Amino acid sequence: MAGDVVKPRFPRRHLVRVVAANLVRCLFRDAARSWGRNIGATAPALGSMTLLLLMAGLVGLTGFALHNLEQQQAAQASLLHVYLRDDAAYQDVVTLWNQLEADARVARVTYISKDEALARAQSIPGLPALANASESNPFPASLDVQVRNIKDVGAIDAIARKSSLVDPLFPTSYDRGAYARIQAILFGLAVAGFAFVALLGFVAVTVTMNSIKAAIHSRHDEITIMQLVGAPRWMVRGPFVVEGAITGAVAGIVAGAVTFGLAMAGIAGGASSFTQFAPGVTAAVAAIAAGIVLGAGLALGSGSSMLSLRRHMES
Amino acid sequence: MSRLYGSRQALSDVDVGLHPGELTFLVGPSGAGKTTLLKLINREIRPTAGEVWVAGMPAHRLKPSHVAQLRRRVGVVFQDYKLLPRLTALENVAFALQAADLRVSGAEAAERSLDALEAVGLGDRGGAFPSQLSGGQQQRVAIARAVVAQPAVLIADEPTGNLDQETALEIMDLFEDIAAWGTAVLVATHNIEIVTRLQRRVVTLVDGRLVRDQPAGQTGRMAWLATS
Repeated sequence: MAGDVVKPRFPRRHLVRVVAANLVRCLFRDAARSWGRNIGATAPALGSMTLLLLMAGLVGLTGFALHNLEQQQAAQASLLHVYLRDDAAYQDVVTLWNQLEADARVARVTYISKDEALARAQSIPGLPALANASESNPFPASLDVQVRNIKDVGAIDAIARKSSLVDPLFPTSYDRGAYARIQAILFGLAVAGFAFVALLGFVAVTVTMNSIKAAIHSRHDEITIMQLVGAPRWMVRGPFVVEGAITGAVAGIVAGAVTFGLAMAGIAGGASSFTQFAPGVTAAVAAIAAGIVLGAGLALGSGSSMLSLRRHMES
Repeated sequence: MSRLYGSRQALSDVDVGLHPGELTFLVGPSGAGKTTLLKLINREIRPTAGEVWVAGMPAHRLKPSHVAQLRRRVGVVFQDYKLLPRLTALENVAFALQAADLRVSGAEAAERSLDALEAVGLGDRGGAFPSQLSGGQQQRVAIARAVVAQPAVLIADEPTGNLDQETALEIMDLFEDIAAWGTAVLVATHNIEIVTRLQRRVVTLVDGRLVRDQPAGQTGRMAWLATS
């Protein structure tokens, strides 16, 4: 054996540990340190991104509420209230009830008495005062007709109006074009919200790209040396992407927390009116929105960094 | 190989080979193409025509994603040292080692960096920051950084340009030592006195053309260089 050089195998586990430690050091620790050092240059990007994400979160929650509102309106628009005369005999009402229910376009018909109509009105914000203002019950009994397709509401309304049992002053709740108007308003709001968020997004991406550009310039020597000693491209560029992601994550956490806080304050503050105007926005939905805002921040920060690197760093 | 910058011919049909264990000086007036030749070797630029082979790798047609592999075989020394001011001498050397190879642990990098610093005579100054070192010492650190990964080729662009003559000679002694270990060393310089004194191979460029390739020991007094 004399003179033989025995080379033991380099332990694989040790190698994996060393590579992992170096990866963490090169990509994350150095990026975090650099981010901390350059916080002054990063502040505008952080501010604009936080603002964008906050607005996006709030616009998103508003959009969700408007979508639910639109669904509610669609359901309400396909529910036709046929108001009955106070002197209509119940037997005649049953006949009209059966006639409407027999129509294939109708899903179901429900009879609402005057007392039930009053009770329902008292549960709607703003109406209890009106309901209590009069000594007698001002609300008529009605047949609530749930029409299968919203397009058939007009035809069912025409059938109902022909009946002599129907109140001649306010025969039904049918308002031609009301639903279409709501849809148009909601569509306009959605377009305006999208345009607003897109504009903010453009500003945030541009500012973030500039802050990464500044970081690239401030570390020019380091980058040059890394490139010249043969550091792979991902190792040179990776820390900048992580820096961008840190900016996005911090902005996302702040914006997500504020979005969640505002939604929770809304829910806790005006429980009945809030659910009226922002249906479906619950604590769980607010938490999901905050999570999406955080994820969007990470994607926005790292994506802007990659765009900036592509433009400003030589290969 | 040839290289154009726009319509200007920076290098024209230059054919030169570097050999392991050989120290070669690259001389010529400003604008002769010395830096362009060094950049071609390190694949900072591509030749407009011709081929550049470095340690068996075709630098002329290397994809950007493979450039890092080539650069791990080439050590580079600059006139302005290019040390990171916030790192100590030891950290500067170790940084280059670990940036080029993720498999090198912190302890191994420190050990090898210290060896490299000792080889350039700065074993006791590893903890000093660049601002605490003289120009000559900073250049030694830069040389340690260039050789710590044991490259096949070492290129230096005016490495003594900022140093006094005595320090410049010491740096050149180091390059001789590095060449003696088996590395092909190419030093671009304007320092005729050192070139004359060391009597190593001299490649002369003028206006992008290779005008002389004198083997070691046959460079004479090089008086012509002062007037070229």
